[in-house]
This record gives sequence, C-alpha cells and structure tokens, in this order.
Amino acid sequence: MPIGGILKRLLRRRASAPDDAEALRLEFKERYHHFKLLLGANRKALEIMSEIEEALHGHRPFGMTFVRAACTSVCVNVFSMIRGMERLAPGKYTALFSRYDAIQKDIEEILARPAPPRDPRLTIPIGALGRELADAAGPKMANLGEIRNRLGFRVPPGFAITTAAAARFFAYRELQTEIDRRLQAAEIPRFDALYALSAEIQQLIIRAPIPPDLETAIREAYAELEAECGPGVKVALRSSALGEDADGSSFAGQYRSELNVGRETLLTAYREVLASKYGLPAITYRLQRGFRDEDIAMGVGCLAMVSAVAGGVVYSCSPVDPRDRRLFIHAAWGLPKAVVDGSTASDLFVLSRDDPPELLAAEVREKDRRYLCYPEEGVCRMELSGPERLQPSLTREQAVEIGRIALALERHYGCAQDIEWALDEGGDIVILQCRPLSARAAAAGADPSPAHEEQSVLCRGGITASPGAAAGPVFVAERTADMLSFPQGAVLVVEQALPRWASLLGRAAAVVAAEGGFAGHLASVAREFGVPALFGLPGAVEHLRGAGEVTVDATGRAVYAGRRQALLEAPLPRPPLMQGSPVLRILEEAGRRIVPLHLLDPEALEFAPEHCRTLHDITRFIHEKSVLEMFRFGQDHHFPERSSKQLFHRVPMQWWILNLDDGFTEEVTGPYVRLEQIACAPMLAFWRGFTAVPWEGPPAVDGRGMLSVLFQATTDRSLNLGVRSRYAERNYFMISRSFCCLNQRLGFHFATLEAMVSERTAENYLSFQFKGGAADFERRLARVHLVGEILEELGFQVEIREDHLVARLEGQPREHLLKRIEALGYLALHTRQMDMVMANPARVESYRRKYRQDIARLIAGPEA
Amino acid sequence: MPQAHVLLVDDETVFTRNISKLLAHRGYRVTAVNSGDAALRALEEQRFDVLVLDLKMPGLDGIATLREMLKLGLFVETIILTGHGSIDTALEAVKLGAHDYLTKPCEIDELVAKIESAREKARGRPS
Repeated sequence: MPIGGILKRLLRRRASAPDDAEALRLEFKERYHHFKLLLGANRKALEIMSEIEEALHGHRPFGMTFVRAACTSVCVNVFSMIRGMERLAPGKYTALFSRYDAIQKDIEEILARPAPPRDPRLTIPIGALGRELADAAGPKMANLGEIRNRLGFRVPPGFAITTAAAARFFAYRELQTEIDRRLQAAEIPRFDALYALSAEIQQLIIRAPIPPDLETAIREAYAELEAECGPGVKVALRSSALGEDADGSSFAGQYRSELNVGRETLLTAYREVLASKYGLPAITYRLQRGFRDEDIAMGVGCLAMVSAVAGGVVYSCSPVDPRDRRLFIHAAWGLPKAVVDGSTASDLFVLSRDDPPELLAAEVREKDRRYLCYPEEGVCRMELSGPERLQPSLTREQAVEIGRIALALERHYGCAQDIEWALDEGGDIVILQCRPLSARAAAAGADPSPAHEEQSVLCRGGITASPGAAAGPVFVAERTADMLSFPQGAVLVVEQALPRWASLLGRAAAVVAAEGGFAGHLASVAREFGVPALFGLPGAVEHLRGAGEVTVDATGRAVYAGRRQALLEAPLPRPPLMQGSPVLRILEEAGRRIVPLHLLDPEALEFAPEHCRTLHDITRFIHEKSVLEMFRFGQDHHFPERSSKQLFHRVPMQWWILNLDDGFTEEVTGPYVRLEQIACAPMLAFWRGFTAVPWEGPPAVDGRGMLSVLFQATTDRSLNLGVRSRYAERNYFMISRSFCCLNQRLGFHFATLEAMVSERTAENYLSFQFKGGAADFERRLARVHLVGEILEELGFQVEIREDHLVARLEGQPREHLLKRIEALGYLALHTRQMDMVMANPARVESYRRKYRQDIARLIAGPEA
Repeated sequence: MPQAHVLLVDDETVFTRNISKLLAHRGYRVTAVNSGDAALRALEEQRFDVLVLDLKMPGLDGIATLREMLKLGLFVETIILTGHGSIDTALEAVKLGAHDYLTKPCEIDELVAKIESAREKARGRPS
C-alpha cells in the first residue's frame, strides 16, 4: 500500500476519535495552506505562460534575459505546485516529479545551447576571404572578399580582424564577464538607464588592454598592407558583425566606422569599433530584434582608405517598392558618408535593367557639403560654395558602370542588393559594402496622394523614406538627451536623418526629417521597423514644432494637422521584428515544452501524470486533482466541523461547499448549510448573479432534451457528490471569507472560478475558465467567443485557445470585482446550452443584446 | 500590523544601501549585512520577518547560507536575489525552502510585493 494510503487510514482512524479533532484541524489547516500556495503558484505559472505566448508573436522586443527569467519562473512555480500536490496527497502523484524533471532538462538544454566553434585565425587577408568565411570574418568582409576574388570587381585592399579576435579581446582579463554583469539591467526598457549603461560599457572597452598576441597579429597584417599600398597607408575600420547583414535585418548604421586611420591609432580605432557593439543604437536594436548579446560577434574590416571623388549607394531595385525594378543610384561629392548618414541632399540617377543599363532619369540636387580625408588622419566636412554644388556628382558613363556592377552583384547573390561605392581619384568604381536590400512594399492600391482638405496640410513634399501613414503627437528631438523623454507613439521630428535617432524607432509612430534621403541608415531602419518616414522636407522642424497631434502620410508625402482617420485606415502591418531571430527561435523551442495544453478532458484515460508533455499539462492536471484532493479530505475524514456541506436554499441544492477557514458565519452542524450562514463574499456575489434574472429555460433545440440543465440538476436530490456520471452536475465551492474556488461541471462542459476578494486591493484577483459543450466544435467556439467578448467589455483580460477560455482580472477594488463575479454568475446560468443555437446569427444577436442589458443592470445595481 | 524587520544580505554595498533606503521609505526596519557569515550571526542574535539573500557572494554564497540556516534551525522566509535567471539555482534555493526569488536589479515594488507575500506565508504557516 502506498504511504499516502496508510496515512489516510491512520487519519481516518484518528478522525473517528473525538480527541483527535484538534490534530485533524491542524492537519486540515496545513493542507489548506499548501492548497493556497499551490493555487498561487498555478496562477503565476499561467500568467508567465501567457506572457511567453504573447512574446512568441514576435511583435514585442525581448532578449535572453526575458527568456531565461520566464522559463525559470515557470519551472519554479510548476515545481512548487508538484510539491504542494505531494503534501496534499503524499505518494499519489510522484510520477509528476519525473515528468517535470524530463521537461526541465529539455528546457535547460535549449537555453544553454552552445555556439558553434570558430575559425581560430585572428586576422585574414581579403585575398583569402569568401562567403564561406562569414562566421570568421563577419558577413560584410566575407562579401567584399567574394566580390573581389570571385567576381573580380574592385574593393579596397585590406584584411579582416576576425570574430575570434574579438572573442579573444573580450575574454582577456574577464572583460566580457564585467560587461555582462553591468548589462543585467539592459532589458529593463528604461531608456535613461540604458543610456548611462551604454556609455559606461563603451568606456570600459575603449580603456581595456589588447591581448599581446592579438596586437602582434594586427600589426603584422597591417605591415603586409603597407607592403602592398605603401608605408603609413591610411585605413578605414568598419564593423563586420555577425548577424549584421542577416536576412531581413540590417543593423544599418548601428556600429561605428573609423575613417582615415593611421598606424599609430589603429588599435584605438579597433577598440572604438568594438565598443560600438554597446552603443545605444546597437543595444536597443538587438533588444528590439531579438539578438542575444553573444549572437553578435564583432568582426572588423581594416581596409585601405579610398580617397573618394564621389561616393554613395546603389539599390538594385526600389527600396520602398520591390515591384519597381529600376536601379537607383544616390551620389554626392566626396566620401559616401554624406549619403549614408543622411546628412546632405544627394543626386539621384535612375537606370534601366538593360545590359548595359540605360540612364532613365537624373535628379541633380544642390549639395551643400562633402566629406574628405585629412592629409594626416580623420575626415572633415567641407561646405561647398563653388559651381560643383549644382553639378552632377557622376557622369552618365560612371552611373552606367555602377548600374552594371549592381546588376552583376544581384545576379551573383540571387536577390536585390544595397551597395555602397566610391569613385576613386583614378576614376575607378570601388565597392565598399554590399548587402541584401530589405524592401518594403507600399500598401497595394494605396493612392499616393489622396486629396485631403488643403487647410490641414502642415508640410508637403520630400521623399518617402519608408512608406505608410501614422498619427501621433509631434516630438522635436535636437540633442541626444532628448531621446530620454521621447514618448511612446510620438512622431519624431528631426533636422537631419542621422543614424543615432534609430534608437527611437521602436517607439516612434513616424519620423519626419528636414534633411536626408531614402539611402540613409535611418531610412533603412525605418523600413525595417515598418515606421512611416518622410525625409527631405525643408523647414519641417519649424512647421511642426508645437503642432500637437499630426498625421504623417509618408506615402502621400504630406503631414496633416490632427488625426486623418481616412489615411490611417489601412496601415501597413508592422513586421514581426523578432521573426527569424535566434532569441525567438530559442523561446519557440523552449515554449513547446511549456505552453501547449494536451490534457483537456479530466474524464479521459490520458488525464494522468505520464501523459503530461508540457508544463501546462502538469499545471492543468494538478489544478484538477488538487481540488478533488481538498474535497476528498473532507469526505474521507468525515471531519465533523469542516467537511463539505450541501447548500440548502428552500430545497437542497447540488452545490457542495467546503469551508476552508472562515467561510461560514457560525458553526454549522448537520449536513446542510443555509445561504445566510455563508460569509464568503465572492461566493455570495456569484449566487446573486446566478439568481438575479430567472432563466428562460434551454433554447429550443432539436430533440436533445436529455441534456441536463443546471437549474433542474441543482435541485435534483438523486444526483450526489461522488457519482461520476458523465452527465452529472457537480458544483464544488471551496470558500473562506475572502476566497472562493468554484468547480462547476455540467454535462459536457466545465467552468472554474477562483476569486480572492478583500480590502487588500493589490492581492485581489479573479480567474475564470470555461471549456467544452455538446455542440460541434464550430458552435462551441462561437459561444466561447461570445462569452469572451462580453467579459472583455467588463474589463477582463481574455484569452481563447480553441474552445477554452481563460479570463483574468486583478488588482481591482473589492466592489469592482464582486460586481464582475455577479456577471459571471449570471453568465454561468444564461449561456447554458447556448452552443446549441450558435449557428443562428439572428438568435445569437438577440442573446447578445439581452446579456448586455442584463449585465449592465446588474453592475448598476445596489452593492452587497 | 507591526513593522516588519527585513535582513538584507549582499556583498554589493551600493545595492544594499539603495535598497535599504527604499525599504525604509516603505516602512520596513532593515538590517543590512554583506556576507553569509554575517547573516547567520544576525539570525542567531535576533528575529527577522523576512530575509533577502543574494546568491552570488564571496565566501559563503546564498545557497550555502540557506543550507547553514537549515542546519542551525534558523528558519525565516527567504527571498533569493539572482543575477542571471538560472533554473537550477533558483530551484535549488526553492527546494531549500526559499519562498521566492527575484532577478537583479529588481524593481522596489516587486521586492515589496514579494516581502509581503513572504510575510503572508509566514502568518499562514501552521505553527
């Protein structure tokens, strides 16, 4: 005989002796205590599961800290439930422990999955690079190697400082450990905290020593470059981070590039680029897109500096409309920095896809500045005043050559490309960067400039940097510090479309910039995030400052005062940012061991510990069994004062009540308890709702009168607790003064209500679950949705999975919750067998109206 | 309800100073110590309602401190603070009788909620 059985026997024997009543009461108190803890753990576990489910949609940014914390918390709470169950029924459900252990082991394995081993080289010359070395050199450098070595186009000479080198640097003197320690705060989405943290970590990196072997490797590689390009050759250091150019994510402009660096400052510049992994834009981007810190290994490219006459970007199709297959070249004088920064206007050349491409259009803009290399080190910005301001920065031949290269690269990579190029002093085109272009389609059929009342137009014109329309209050950002106060959902208005504003795109409704075009980093990120962006709108800051709420129609290239609903009607869906990210994949895998629910029918043979495949299964199983065990205690022990009583209201009802603590107003002897002896506020509220409006009886349905009906069943004495008939009506209440746990089973469905309602508002909660029915799945589903809709109107948080509804409400004042419980009591009676008529929309509508009216009356009615 | 006495154990003095101040504002009496050994001594000397214990400390770490407490019969409802959420350590702490755990850095409201729920549990615990 299992230990539990022996214990029970002992207890039963003890219970029969009146002297032991006190021991039994203590035993009961102990069990009640564990039962309450178990319910608390259950509630917490379900809460986190729903958080995980929400996160799995991929719309909200989260990182590994969230994944670890959520998994840990679910595990701990489920484990607490199992332990509680063990206290309630010792030895009876031990199989749960081994099921739990197996699931936990799986989850831990998923969370701890190690990164694949790396190529051990610290530097690799560009002549040896190709696509296959993307993990070692980072995708950017691997691509440049591919372009040079396989396609024969010109790229600057140079070498990659590998991801293994960065790993070596961060491991040296436990730098990474220190960073991780400080980063623990990073997932608290408090911008000011992140801001300070980012600066602190970057300083730490910039001041950190370089391991001697790494220093030697870099110096040697540089010496080889000098041998090729001449002594003291100036270089550009560019990030080439893993994940940087991954499909659908661009990390555009998130990392630093150091231009025109000499031998002496090489190592400092290297650290600056590494440090930019922890720059504010990069940290927020990782969080928003679901990259783990460790997913981003920083490769760095060290490339001979190209002293560019002109530079820019070419797209092998339109970045805002992938159906537009023309080539778009953006060009400015000097280094391409001016174009990718979005800091100046650039010329636009549009070409056909012919071989060779044909120049279809050229828009030459007034270019007021250019970037060029200082003779010693660094770059400077020069204002342009001569005639070149208005001259095209490329000749027709040069534009055609760039177009030809773009088409060749697109063919090679098999998808549209975003290419950064420079025109060197010898007139050659040099490729500096090449990555897949993430294009976003404008809404199909959207009219580019719908006619709206002219008087409400605040600005018009500019360039659609990212299509769509959105509304929000104007927020003008001028200094970096302004980012701290940027409100969620505001319209970001800036002078220049600088990459640093990218940190705000997770929170911005739209972006408007006076300067900048769609080739800039900020535009790329806006497209990636699906945030409408309208750039190149002179005077935008002055026109929009203090304008309050505005509607930005980036597609139609105008900004309107107030909300223009017609423009907002068909918003472009925001792409699920986390999709395809490593963090989301890990959560998906772990989630499969946590969230799905397989144990649905407590009457089924499979409703057993061995069949628990997920943590949700375990919670469902324990919740069901713990209730039974609590009742069984009263039954088994014939506990004179506290065993379950049958509710007597005019007649004996099929409502069975177990007083857990102080649920009765007085000592109740005999088998019945009267309604007025009940002190439990939530149960009384349920009763009030249940009896408020007489039921009209079951809806007329075809010949299925065999179905038991609650009100008949509740007065049917022949039905008894413990009769385990499939059609048996069972209403179990476990109560104390402020707590009520109702398990209601009628025919084919079950409902559970758990409520804690006292003056301590913070602890108050209400949880209601509902499942099943006799009708086919479609109609059951329709009923569940009808109930869900009504509950949502009452302020519940409602989740529906298949025909299973879970509604929650918490932290609300006592009276507020009691009124909601009344509504639940009302619904418990009146939605009975509603599933049978759900196929008739007119009937459903009339029921919906009736429910709404009745509930509104209940809520407005007098308080208890 | 009488003022609750909280014992706060963490080797990071900046953390203990801040949290002590915040808890004091919320009406708690707080004693802060910076090691597991000091925590055991404090528990032997006086009665506390709730213990807030950091897992990672030099010398006697959080888990070892919990073990010692059990051995010495110095039980008090405990909230564990962890850096990274790790299922194993959190579970071990809970198996050793800790009431709950929190990831650092923690929001003060959350900590207060957990302290209150630990007190509630202590009250409900059958004597």
